[in-house]
Amino acid sequence: MIVQMQLDLKDVPGSLLRVLEPISSHGGNILSVMHSRGGGDRVLVHIVFKIGDLEMLDLVKNSLKQRNIRATRINIEGRKYYSKKSASFMLVGHVIDTDLRDTIDRINDVGLVSDIDVVMPNPKEKSSVLLEVEFDERKKKQLVDCMKRICDRKKFLLIRSLD
Amino acid sequence: MKEVKLCIVGFGNIGRGLAAVLDEKQDLLRRRHGLKLTVVAVAEKDGSLVNERGVDLSRALKTQFSSCPEYSSMKTLDVIKSCNADMVVELTPGNMKNGEPGLSHILRSLECGMHVVTSNKAPLALKYREIMDCARKAGREVRFEATVGGAIPLINLYRGTLQANEVRNIYGILNGTTNFILSKMAEECVDFRIALKEAQELGLAESDYSYDVDGIDSAVKVVILANALMGRSVSLKDVRVVGIRDITYETVELARKHNSVIKLVGDVNELEVSPRIIPQNHPLNISGALNAVMLDTDVAGDITITGVGAGPRETSSSVLSDIIDLAIKV
Repeated sequence: MIVQMQLDLKDVPGSLLRVLEPISSHGGNILSVMHSRGGGDRVLVHIVFKIGDLEMLDLVKNSLKQRNIRATRINIEGRKYYSKKSASFMLVGHVIDTDLRDTIDRINDVGLVSDIDVVMPNPKEKSSVLLEVEFDERKKKQLVDCMKRICDRKKFLLIRSLD
Repeated sequence: MKEVKLCIVGFGNIGRGLAAVLDEKQDLLRRRHGLKLTVVAVAEKDGSLVNERGVDLSRALKTQFSSCPEYSSMKTLDVIKSCNADMVVELTPGNMKNGEPGLSHILRSLECGMHVVTSNKAPLALKYREIMDCARKAGREVRFEATVGGAIPLINLYRGTLQANEVRNIYGILNGTTNFILSKMAEECVDFRIALKEAQELGLAESDYSYDVDGIDSAVKVVILANALMGRSVSLKDVRVVGIRDITYETVELARKHNSVIKLVGDVNELEVSPRIIPQNHPLNISGALNAVMLDTDVAGDITITGVGAGPRETSSSVLSDIIDLAIKV
């Protein structure tokens, strides 16, 4: 099957190679690579490759994820297969004291925490933490449920962005 | 000239507001609609004013209820049964435990063959199906525009101008008190308690503010919209409700740093009331005690309506609109 993958990469030497290697190593046959610099330190890359089946494509996606690379969109045979969305979540409570690393790891099981901003008035008071989370739009409900579970368990107030 | 007889049940803030607007708009009703609305009874919990030729509303507004010449100690349910009105306007305060006394007033009115217009949220949120079944059996209508969004023409907009549309979702700021508090926190850099105190001083929040700040009022409106407009059959316990009292000054500041604001949003599809992060340039980012509602429709696209969500005079606009609609049909 023919796969078109769009990625938003940091414009540094070697970043394109880090994307191409997993595709080749999981049996993908690269047909074309196009990239355009849109200003700043980012570069938009479109890769078209041929690969055996969905399982092999998932192996490519997982390898990219391990390298902290996320495709922003994947089309298979011209039809949308995956589209990355981004959402903001604010947690209010004792977010630092209740193992922030664990909170992020749980979210990363479903999406990817790409940015974090913390306000801690003083150690005894509740902190407010804003998380930007990237996710596959098909997993939106899963992500929201995951956030609700974490917040119920750790007694945080959850404030999520309106779509 | 068509004369339509009304019985007003409840003469508190909303009832008195309606009486004043009715008095003010009689000429307009004659000119524009050929209608004469005659209030033949006004019922309160401690007595009633009954006059087949029309209760003197100006006097009722100016003097003690019990010192009006039409005053009697007749109970409300008896007034409804005997007043011979075409329509009952039910404006008593809601009781979220059992919907009473409004529920009994509405059911009795329908059983007696009268249409009902109400601003009372509780009976509709708790017993929507029962009320509508009763109306169907009686061949009468129940109108309740004023229950959601005060002066905002939401339900009638949906049923009228948007009738060609599938409405995919309705969501927005359904409570003016919480909007005032969150706006104050963001604009004047104050914490929740100070903003709440100011809301109380301005009469926007009750001494028992939990109904507003804990999201119950918004949840009740979500239930009414879900049942009335989205074909659902839900009650208050089906709505996930999170209020705003845990939002700190720092939370609001953090949102502002990221060009956003926090608003308490009722989402009908998700049956949820919760604080949400909204971009500063979003149509729902309105300041003060206003309400703002978005309808996601398939043909017209997104529609946002904004307006005053409470207040006796503003709410009377919606109540009177329902009365006129039904009066034309009577």
